[in-house]
Order: sequence, then C-alpha cells, then structure tokens
Amino acid sequence: MKYLLPLLILISLNSEAKVESELSGNLEVQGRHAWNNPEAKDVFQNWDEADFYLAYGNLNGKLEFDNSRLEANWFARRSHSNLYKNDYLATRIYNFPNSLVARNLFKLEYKDQDRNGLTESVLNKVFYEWDYKEHRIAFGRMYVNYGIGEIFNPINPFNQPTGLTSIQQVAQGSDGLSFTYFANDKHTIHFYALGDKNTENYQNKFTKTLWVHGEYEVSDKLQINYVLGEDQRRAKAGGQVSYQGEEAMYFGQLLYQTAYLDNKASSNLWDALLGYDRQLSSKWHMRFEGGYQKRNEYAALGFGSRFLPTEYFAALALVDEIHPLVKLTGTFINDIKSGFTYFIAKSTFSLGQNIEADIFGYTPITKGDAVDNPAQKLVTTDLGVALRAFF
Amino acid sequence: MFKNLLRKDVMFCVALGVNANNADEWLKYVDAQIRGDRSQSEMVMTIETPNWSRTLEIESDVEGKSQALSTINSPAKEKGIRTLRIDNNMWNYFPKLKRKVAVSSSMLLASWMGSDFTNDDILKASSMSEDYHHKFMPDETLNGVKYRVIENKSKSDAKVMWPKIVTYASTQDCLPRFYKYYDKENKLKRTLSFDDIKTFDGHKFPVSWVMKPEDDNTKKTSILYKNIKFNVKFKSDHFSQKNLTDK
Repeated sequence: MKYLLPLLILISLNSEAKVESELSGNLEVQGRHAWNNPEAKDVFQNWDEADFYLAYGNLNGKLEFDNSRLEANWFARRSHSNLYKNDYLATRIYNFPNSLVARNLFKLEYKDQDRNGLTESVLNKVFYEWDYKEHRIAFGRMYVNYGIGEIFNPINPFNQPTGLTSIQQVAQGSDGLSFTYFANDKHTIHFYALGDKNTENYQNKFTKTLWVHGEYEVSDKLQINYVLGEDQRRAKAGGQVSYQGEEAMYFGQLLYQTAYLDNKASSNLWDALLGYDRQLSSKWHMRFEGGYQKRNEYAALGFGSRFLPTEYFAALALVDEIHPLVKLTGTFINDIKSGFTYFIAKSTFSLGQNIEADIFGYTPITKGDAVDNPAQKLVTTDLGVALRAFF
Repeated sequence: MFKNLLRKDVMFCVALGVNANNADEWLKYVDAQIRGDRSQSEMVMTIETPNWSRTLEIESDVEGKSQALSTINSPAKEKGIRTLRIDNNMWNYFPKLKRKVAVSSSMLLASWMGSDFTNDDILKASSMSEDYHHKFMPDETLNGVKYRVIENKSKSDAKVMWPKIVTYASTQDCLPRFYKYYDKENKLKRTLSFDDIKTFDGHKFPVSWVMKPEDDNTKKTSILYKNIKFNVKFKSDHFSQKNLTDK
C-alpha cells in the first residue's frame, strides 16, 4: 500500500492527458444531552444523564487523468463525554458507525480512547480506478456502497446504513480489488476480492472476501440485484428486487448466510427486507421498511455490530420540506416481537450555501418486552444539535 | 381558417412555419424550439425567499423524453450529485460516498433541491406536445401585451403531474412567455415565466426562467441558462450506469 501513492503520482505525471484535481470536505460538530434508560442499569449502564460532544470531518481528494482516477478520503473524529470514564456502551450508539473500515488489511488508522473521549483518524478511502471500454478496475481502499435499504440493507455487508444515525457524512472503506463489467445497458456485474484482519491484532491471518454483485434491469419497471460469495468465513447469497409502480416504488431484499465455513461454533443467518417508497406531493415523502434479521446466538447481544437490535421490525419515515430552508424528518421504528418503539425526529436548516444545522431527538416511546433483546435497554433519550459546513 | 391566417398578429408565426390554427402544431413547434431532440445545458439556479437566497450551478443533458442526466457543479455541499433517468427508472449518485441509489419514479413530483422546480422539470420527463391535448382559448392581454392562449390537458395515458397547463405564447415569435400549472381541483398552483429569448444552434430559447408558487408570493426560483447546445451528439453510453458513476 505504501508504494501505491508514489506509483500513481508517477502515472499521473507521465500522462499526456489533462489532469484534473479536486479537494472537498466537510466539518461537523455535534452536542447532545442524553437521559439514560432506567432499565439500562440492569445491564450495568449505571448513569442517569450525560453530555456527549462530537467533532468529525472528511477531507476528500481526487485526481483524474485519462480514463483513470485516484481518490482518497481522510476521516477524523473526536468524541468527548464523561461516559468514556466507565466505557459505557451508549457512546457506541452515538458514534455509529464505530468502524470506519469494513474490510481492513492495511490499517492506515489511529485510535486512542482515554477517560474523556475517543480520538480517531483514518484514511478510509485511497484507491486507483481505471476505466477501459466496458470494464472498470479499482484497487486500494474503496467504498463498496450499494443497495436500496436506508434503515436496513442486508445485501451489502460492506457499508452499514446510516438512515437512523446522527453521523451522515461517512462511508466505510474496504481493502482489496474490484472489477466491474458493464455487460450492456441492462446488466452490470461487480467482482470484489477483499481482505480483513482482526482489527485488534494485525498479526492474525486475514479472512478473504470473494464477492459478486450484479445489477440487472429486467424491464423499465423491474430491476434485480444479486449477490453471491464468501465473506467473513460465511458463504452468502441473496438479492434485491425493486419495482416501479405507477405512484410508488416497492422493493425487497433477502440474504442467506451459512454457518462459519471453518466449523467454528455458529449458525446460519437470514435477513429480509420489504419496502415501499413514495413521493406524496412536491414536499412530502414517505418510506416504509419492514425487516427480519435472524438472531445470531453467537454475537454480542444477538445482533453483533448492527445498529438495529431487533429481530422483526417495521419502520416508517416521513419527510416534509416545509420551506427551502427547512426539512423535517420523523421516523418510527417498531420491534414487532417485543413491542419496543423508537422515534427519531430531525429538522435540518440551511444556514447558507454550504452550512446547515440539525436539531435532533431520539427517544423510545414504548418500552416493550426487552427480555429477549437486552440491547434495547441501552437505547437512551437524546436531544442534540449539529452544525456542519462543506467546502 | 382563412380569417386566422390573415390575422396580422400571427403572421410572424406562419412565416416561421407554424400552423397558427392548429394548437397541436403550435406546441410541436414550441417543443422543437425549446426541447429539441437533445440538448446539453449549463444553468444557474437561484432559490429566493425574502430573507435568504441560494444558488446552484447545474449541468443537464437530455435526449428525447426518455433519457436525462443532471449534475450539480456547485455549491460544495451538493457538488457532484448526479441524477440519471432512463424511462421510468431514476438513480441518484452521491460521488463522495460512492453511493448510487435507485429512487422511486414518483420522485419526479418532488421539489428539486428545495426549489420551486420539480425533478420532472429538471429531468424533462414529460413533453408538452406529446403528453397533452391542446386547444386554443381566447387571446388575452396581460400588462398591455397580447398573448395567444393554449389550454393543455393531459392525455389519459400520460404520466404527468399537472392535469392542466395553460400556455401564454407571444404572437411575435410563437414562443411561450408563461405557463400556468393547475392541479386536479383546477386550482392554479404555480406560474413559469420565460424571458430573454436568444438563439442557440438555430433554436430560439428563453435563457431566463422564473417559477413562482401561487401559495407563497414571497418565494421564487430563477434559472439562468449560461449555455445550451442542441446539436450535441452524446456517446452511446452517456446515459448509462457507467457514466453515472465515473466521477
């Protein structure tokens, strides 16, 4: 990896074509006050109220020459709260996604947690991409970002959906190679060969990912995506179907994962998603997503690192652009099995060409039976503000 | 018919080859001038409210009724966001996150970036001449200027968001100066006005567009075309997933 950048600079210097460069980024600060769920003390989260502050930013660079491009993104964030003194779990919800690199071979990151907060700095994108006729080849650390689900997007294991989180300007990188074949107007196939090491110990062997993702347009109304491969020691297969109705789009996803291929104790897993998306008027938009994720008995709290600690869920998001300056979003998520319901309200204000502010609130509105889902006891009530600038 | 042909005020249109007695032909002429078969344009959009305004720079490529690609060039917040439409299918591409998202075709209804224009306006999914029935109405005089008035009612099988649009066309150059958009209840919802007609590649084209919603007279969105080319030839893969994601 250390030879990649000089090599690419050499290529670009030797290129006779015009070289275009671009530098862009964003900076965001957030502050929130959180009230703990009284039941969180059952799972050793012994605090009542706390403040949580977060600053993060992206610096994105791009060089384009001939039919190729080099892109890099540096992501840094500092989280600050008394909650870090006892390493309470709520900080992981406020900082989601916690990992900025989904499939990590090259590290390229710095992470330091102390009693007051967490500092992270990571080069979460640095890749070279080359287009040749109907082919595209990329290598390095790249974003693998596809799938229609905004709250739950099981067919893509390489990027966590951020539809419910307060950190929006982020994507997770993955290390390896990709090859895309644009077969025709209707069919595109992406092949990925990625690798991952245990992020805590880089002496470990890496696990490989060999992945195919295809996009096929069956008709002008029906599109399918399919995925197949081996990833993190499981064989996985699934797909996505989306249908453009007269007034709305209907979509669904299914992903099946086998137990670990190396015989380590594990079970198979199923994920499913059904969705409906409709623009109700020029200002109102609604989206419904309902899903199922099979409980993983071998993962922490049943769902590992996923944001949604629910087995069956139904979510409804409504967006109202009440003014060119102001957008309101309300999202309800219900765990059908336990009865737990969570509400997220957000208002986004444009303060200038490149500055915007959010006021956001997160709260559980029905408790439900959390016996089977102790992670739901960790869900706090928060009220916060965010200010972000783009350049 | 003979009487109409002799009308002085429509003689210029007749000279241009417009059949001044046939509203369908008139609108075909307007579509041919303003839409063309394909176009590539650069525009500046300004969204204005009494206390605030916002400017976006956009590139828009259109081929026929079925293919369009728009790219936002500024401000930094939205720079690089692209929208591709092929027939009923639409995708948004966010290059900073390398994320391509299929969006519901009902999003054609949605306000484009908080403006008074919709995705349908920007991506030119509907065609006035093909999707509407046309009928002349009595001429009207607005601010001392006489306009030929054409009522456009949507065809039953057309996928359009406005059931009725009324065109106010200049009798001098036959091009529209106003479009008034009505909802299902026949209530006027917004007015688009054209100004500053210039010629590009042989097409007469209004470079200044202003959209005003009727429910809030303090707001408006203006588009100023910096350039538009009609004789452009797009590569065969221009309106494709590959081209959408190559930035």
